[in-house]
Amino acid sequence: MSELVRLTEITKVYQGGVTGALNGVSLTVEEGEFTAVMGPSGSGKTTLLNLVAGLDRPTSGSVTVAGSDLGPLGETALARFRRDHIGFVFQFFHLLPNLTVLENVLIPAQLKSRVSSEAAGRELLAQLGIAELADRYPAKLSGGQQQRVSIARALINRPTLLLADEPTGALDTRSGDEVMELLRQLHRQGKTVLLVTHDAKLATRYAARVVSVMDGRIVDDARLETADREASDVIKVRGEETR
Amino acid sequence: MHTHHAYRVWNCCLSLKYGLMGLLAEEPLHGYEVKTRFEAMLGGTWEVNIGQVYTTLQRLERDGLVRPVGPRGDRGKLLYEVSEEGRRVLAEWMDQPDSGPQELREDIYVKLLLAARLANGDLAPLLSRQKRAYLQRLRDLNRLEERARRDGRSDLARLVRGALLHTEADIKWIDELSETAISGESE
Ligand SMILES: Nc1ncnc2c1ncn2[C@@H]1O[C@H](COP(=O)(O)OP(=O)(O)OP(=O)(O)O)[C@@H](O)[C@H]1O
Ligand SMILES: [Mg+2]
Repeated sequence: MSELVRLTEITKVYQGGVTGALNGVSLTVEEGEFTAVMGPSGSGKTTLLNLVAGLDRPTSGSVTVAGSDLGPLGETALARFRRDHIGFVFQFFHLLPNLTVLENVLIPAQLKSRVSSEAAGRELLAQLGIAELADRYPAKLSGGQQQRVSIARALINRPTLLLADEPTGALDTRSGDEVMELLRQLHRQGKTVLLVTHDAKLATRYAARVVSVMDGRIVDDARLETADREASDVIKVRGEETR
Repeated sequence: MHTHHAYRVWNCCLSLKYGLMGLLAEEPLHGYEVKTRFEAMLGGTWEVNIGQVYTTLQRLERDGLVRPVGPRGDRGKLLYEVSEEGRRVLAEWMDQPDSGPQELREDIYVKLLLAARLANGDLAPLLSRQKRAYLQRLRDLNRLEERARRDGRSDLARLVRGALLHTEADIKWIDELSETAISGESE
């Protein structure tokens, strides 16, 4: 496996912020990993994801993704970096209400050939099971459908890295599970996934690595085993028996 | 009359006693059949010793809750059924909510109390190790739940779900302790 993301001694202090949102975070992510980032509200998870995505810049420290150091990049180069390497899925979808589903999916593909990207967009919608929604408007869709659209938008440029910030946070359990199954499929197809979630059940179900953040610091980085254990090694009903 | 020991043995395996009765209430079974059926019902989360099954059946018979069907031959071949009294006792047990004390069986509770008594005791490493173990357990439980669903065992999946949610609560507890452990440093 090769390294896809490297954060080195990152700090982030927002304007007007008294304490740092991130205080010395170092983290590497290998290509093909499915990593969950967990931590309490305000611990810096979204800040971390935004820095990896090149949506924001650190106060100090360096961010390297897919071999490029983002620090020296100007705004245009950063936008190109995002387009080529990053797919971002937000908790509240961030779809534009006055564009159709297909148009939303094609936003990041603007710069490429119109005809071929439209075909790619429709194919992606079909893969995500929402081909029939292509010409509808986001407001008329369920939360689960809107999140699928936003996943299609995140995938349209075939990014190396998929970043998902609480992608199930606004969904009921069932649509949440469906969205997570999609992320799992994408991971199996080779995508590297970085998922922010509050939900430990969900994190450990999908991610073999769980990074815990607290007060802007990484307090634990656990790589979990993936094994098919005997039921009796996982659950014991009613404890020990007397012979 | 119960000796203390006999009472404990009987009490430890209340759900074995009633579990066996419940299965025998569906249809008469041999000792070995009721053992394998009980284990299959629990999806391998409780392996029962055959000797214990026979002991339990003998006690149930002594108490008039089950009785052998047909002639009494080789013990292994004896077919048991639930008596009328057995059905009544079983129904009563089923109707009874579990209201005993909360059981906290894991060592972490005692470890935590001991660690907190140490001067300058730093709980953080203890909590962090325990959290990892819980995360791993959660992952294993998730896989078990998915396997149960794939195998069409939605009853077992429900049981695993209960374990998952308990482990999630354990993690919340560890997180809460970690937060106070960290903010406590500056006191
Ligand atoms: N744009 C901003 N300007 C100023 N402060 C900010 C900004 N964004 C975040 N913060 C602060 O930085 C800290 C980390 O915020 P962040 O959004 O990264 O947390 P989070 O872990 O994603 O929380 P949540 O689980 O609630 O989404 C918080 O104290 C927050 O108030
Ligand atoms: Mg956030």
